[in-house]
Amino acid sequence: MVKDVTSGSTSLVSRPMVVEGEISGDESLHVDGRVKGIIRLKGDLFVGVSGIVEAEIDARNVVIQGTITGKVLARRQLEVQPSGRFNGECTAASYEIREGAVFEGVSRMISSSKPQNGSASVSSEQDSKRQT
Amino acid sequence: MGLFVKDKPSAVSGAGQHGDNETSFFGAKLTVKGKVSGGGNLIVMGTLEGEFDLNGELVVAPSALVNGEVKAVNVTVSGGFSGSLTAKQKIHLEKSSVVSGRLIAPKLSVADGAVLNGEIEMKKSSESKPAANDPTQKEKK
Repeated sequence: MVKDVTSGSTSLVSRPMVVEGEISGDESLHVDGRVKGIIRLKGDLFVGVSGIVEAEIDARNVVIQGTITGKVLARRQLEVQPSGRFNGECTAASYEIREGAVFEGVSRMISSSKPQNGSASVSSEQDSKRQT
Repeated sequence: MGLFVKDKPSAVSGAGQHGDNETSFFGAKLTVKGKVSGGGNLIVMGTLEGEFDLNGELVVAPSALVNGEVKAVNVTVSGGFSGSLTAKQKIHLEKSSVVSGRLIAPKLSVADGAVLNGEIEMKKSSESKPAANDPTQKEKK
């Protein structure tokens, strides 16, 4: 059972699993189950089709095939795939929203020219409500 | 379960590799605080703090540190554990394990070299019968 764990840096919350609380660390996380609370990762967050995340999120890339509700900081990119739903407030350096995806809420950009990140370097702000 | 994998690989390396796996895995660099519940197995290599109620097997790897109240069907500890540990079936402590606290299980095995400080309670598996006639459940005052 332990043998397929060699990929090392991606943790997994499987479909029958529910986590309420705080998940933090230097690696990537794949969620097929449910997570509620806070997620802080140096790596990427991937929410699979069956994944439901209600959280305050800070990660490098955020890829959504399932559902995310909450406040997201994606230091590099937020990607919402056709089966994905995002609801809330997002700050990211870039966005990729595929046709069929649902993005409801506020998006903000991290300015790529400035070395700092966070709210101080927000270069543009737009409200968007899109449902395709 | 049919994970939806796009033709173009996503930004997350290794996404989609986990397929139909229902074993959750918390890596060595991950810290989880709070409440974890649900089915499936769980392998922990990092730090866990809180309350865990699992309908499956829990494996605490040598690098892991678990602190809290744990309930599972089977538990294997190779790392550090402190708190209360309840297994419906079996607890196994590997030789590298350092355990303190309270262990409750119908079956317990401890490897030579394991460090175990605490209290052990062994009761017969009572899941098949209701607690009505189970003497271990009764404590008269």
